[in-house]
Amino acid sequence: MSEQFTRREFLQSACITMGALAVSTTGVEKAFAASSTSTPNSSGMPTCDVLIIGSGAAGLRAAVAARKKNPNLSVVVVSKVMPTRSATTMAEGGINGVIDFSEGDSFELHAKDTVKGGDFLVDQDTAMKFATYAGAAIHELDYIGMPFSRDSKGNVDKRYAGGASKIRCNFAEDKTGHILTHTCLDDALKNGVKFLMDHHMLDLSIENGHCEGVVLRNIRTGDIAPVRAKSVVLATGGYTRVFWNRTSTPYIATGDGAAAALRAGLIFKDPEMLQFHPTGVCHGGTLITEAARGEGGILLNNLGERFMKRYVPNKMELAPRDIVARSIETEIREGRGYGHDMEAYVLLDVTHLGKEKIMKNLPQIRHIGMLFENMDLVEKPIAIRPTAHYSMGGIHVTSLDTMATPAPGLFAAGEAACVSIHGANRLGGNSLCDATVTGKIAGINAAEYAAKAGFGAGKRLNDLTLKWTSHFKEITGSGKGNVNDMYALREELGAANWYNMGIFRTESKLLALADKHAEFQARYDAIRIPNTNPVFNTAYTEYVELGNLLLASRAALMGATARKESRGSHFREDYLKRDDANFLKHSMVTMDEKGQMHLDWKDVVVGQFKIEERKY
Amino acid sequence: MKFIIDRFDGKKNYQQTYTVEKKDIEALTLLGTLLFIKQHQDITLNFTASCRMAICGACGVRVNGHSYLGCDTKMTELFEAYKDADTFRISPLANYTVISDLAVDWEPAIENLRKIKPGLVAKDKFSEKEGCVQNQEEYDRIVKQWDCVLCGCCASECNKLSADRSDYMEPFVYTQAWRVANDSRSKDPMIHVKPAVLNGLWNCVHCHECSNRCPKHISSADDIAGLRALAMKKGLNSGVGPAHAKSFYTDLVEDSGRLNEIRLALRTEGVSTALRAGTAITLMRAGKMNPLEIFGGHTIEGHKDLVKMIEAAKAANKE
Repeated sequence: MSEQFTRREFLQSACITMGALAVSTTGVEKAFAASSTSTPNSSGMPTCDVLIIGSGAAGLRAAVAARKKNPNLSVVVVSKVMPTRSATTMAEGGINGVIDFSEGDSFELHAKDTVKGGDFLVDQDTAMKFATYAGAAIHELDYIGMPFSRDSKGNVDKRYAGGASKIRCNFAEDKTGHILTHTCLDDALKNGVKFLMDHHMLDLSIENGHCEGVVLRNIRTGDIAPVRAKSVVLATGGYTRVFWNRTSTPYIATGDGAAAALRAGLIFKDPEMLQFHPTGVCHGGTLITEAARGEGGILLNNLGERFMKRYVPNKMELAPRDIVARSIETEIREGRGYGHDMEAYVLLDVTHLGKEKIMKNLPQIRHIGMLFENMDLVEKPIAIRPTAHYSMGGIHVTSLDTMATPAPGLFAAGEAACVSIHGANRLGGNSLCDATVTGKIAGINAAEYAAKAGFGAGKRLNDLTLKWTSHFKEITGSGKGNVNDMYALREELGAANWYNMGIFRTESKLLALADKHAEFQARYDAIRIPNTNPVFNTAYTEYVELGNLLLASRAALMGATARKESRGSHFREDYLKRDDANFLKHSMVTMDEKGQMHLDWKDVVVGQFKIEERKY
Repeated sequence: MKFIIDRFDGKKNYQQTYTVEKKDIEALTLLGTLLFIKQHQDITLNFTASCRMAICGACGVRVNGHSYLGCDTKMTELFEAYKDADTFRISPLANYTVISDLAVDWEPAIENLRKIKPGLVAKDKFSEKEGCVQNQEEYDRIVKQWDCVLCGCCASECNKLSADRSDYMEPFVYTQAWRVANDSRSKDPMIHVKPAVLNGLWNCVHCHECSNRCPKHISSADDIAGLRALAMKKGLNSGVGPAHAKSFYTDLVEDSGRLNEIRLALRTEGVSTALRAGTAITLMRAGKMNPLEIFGGHTIEGHKDLVKMIEAAKAANKE
């Protein structure tokens, strides 16, 4: 026996028993073979009754709802990654929904707060239904196993969230999103949902107005294949990665669904509505949650001034998100921040709270400070800057009753969809219930549709597949190209979007950005990826994602340029006032076959809540 | 400084060394370093990452053989842990099938999760319309296990899986079975305990490496122990594993307080233990085993107190 024999090797050899290593098969074939009850197809394409793209809370809830609605249908969830790697896990605060009416709260009040928070760009009938469903969703989540924090009576506990007139933000410690996602995964496994992991949706095929399926790339093998589906649910998340290094969302949230929908001729609604959170870490944009300011954290500029007194003296750091974000950016712009360009920042100071209080109440935030800024906020203030946080805009959905897009067979849910719940600004705590509620509705309706529909012919789907197959060869085939081209462009796109279409927008900046986008697009088209290997070619995945971000940026720019007013997160320095006479309507961006974008408008649905000035 | 990374391109395994200036990475996380190498030196390097804030679990890898969650590990921590070494070996998580470089296949793990039915089946008194009721104490009992982010670090460290994964599952699978079986809202813990027993629960080798390396400080080893206790309490007490556990208990409480290895073997595996006679003879020759102890040995000092402690623990558990 060699002297190198370690404890671990001893343990391993000690427990060796007979038995071969488990061999697993993977891939499209297995997922479909295990669940498909659909008719065999002559074209040899894999088929599936209900295909769900995205495995965040919206995708997982859609899958379960479809299975429950009709257990005879095959339901497959496609994801670029393992389920639970989604943006949903990153949500911390909680999930809104009225379940306690004893203090005078009501569905109507929740709806009213949502409408007001959204600066009246919310469809009011939708907000009312949404609030009702959100209340029911909390109980349902509890019933399927979500461990909510509890009050003294053993009921779901709740906390205050920004912009709410009552306390109705239900939570599970400070990791509500993580716990919700895992609950949804458990429930999906329980209900026999199948997963197709490491698969990237490249495109979506609409033929004769109907959705006939999607083109998938198996990232593991590089195979690009058409999958026909009777109905498709897009639950691909948001597109705040257009600000690459200035967003709190995960690397994978690149708006693939919205971009595919645009290419397929569908409508991208309110794309200019991107929310900013005031306090992200300077490097990379990860969130320092509101808890830091809630506990008494203060903001300081490079003169050591508590600058919020200049902007909102009565509320200081606890003013609404958009105002604090604009105040910080003003300080940086006027030279009172630290650092330069994308590295600029101001300080968030909690040191006066004392070590004990920080360790007890803000341990996560301290940890994030250490990870990203190498700063222990017990000892020193931490460098922060506003960060893009949520996309209110998304794929146009006709009604909350169905979450259907105008193309029969195609549904959208969660952050990827825009059914006009959040308007121009989403309230804290409303994103998790959006994902849960809209996901479920989309799933039910996708199942109902699939039960009656047949498969499309798949001709266009085939053409798209061939196009993508040759695209892969073209982009990676030569093995040439500079390693850094794509990554440099991605950062430049993020910076250009941030400075010209970020927290402060003006006509001239937006027009300059349009030129930039044209230049970026040309550079993008010329990029070649120096990796010919089809197996797990993540560089190619990132290349496709960057293309999607460019497309989403262009759509957002179109909306931002046309909307000559300031509303919610969309702040125009050249049009400081909200203009209800001209812009109480949704921007509707489409793209034609030649890649030209077009803008149309749709009136906001006004209901029982009076349109009034949004006062703080 | 150098990073030796284990590569796999779908066909062949090889190692590749990357040289990086220390100043470029010392303020970064381990994930930051991987991104730095990919984006500046080698675009073909593959790994997975998503949230970069230690909640999605996508970026588990091994450094010098030990698993780390990439985004949750500062390079300075690694410099400290490995005494300022200037070379690090980075490999994919162990005990997973490697797809490419540092990316591993999660599908078998998801299928294992499916086996233990992690979805809660709530008690009949609860309803979808009104939800459940749970007090703080009951909530506290399960909430630690809910921190699991499915990063796979525990499975990478698991010695049992390394030896043979045909009759065992990833440690986090048992943790998830335990969190739902132990939930006060759960209708019947056996829905989750039974498949855990049928899928290797008693095969854990108690090395506790899973607990040592969990970035969220969860102990799957403890959760496995919890599941075993629950299984026996609910009558799933036949077979080698439970017999083995009971034998320990008998020796400790009813007998001398000293583990009797000969009787342990007999009680655990019955007469089939004769198949291991060779091992026993070797041990006896080496003076490691006294055959006369089959008739019982000397009671250990303080045995009465030991029994009292065990009885007290039992009583407390019943309350």
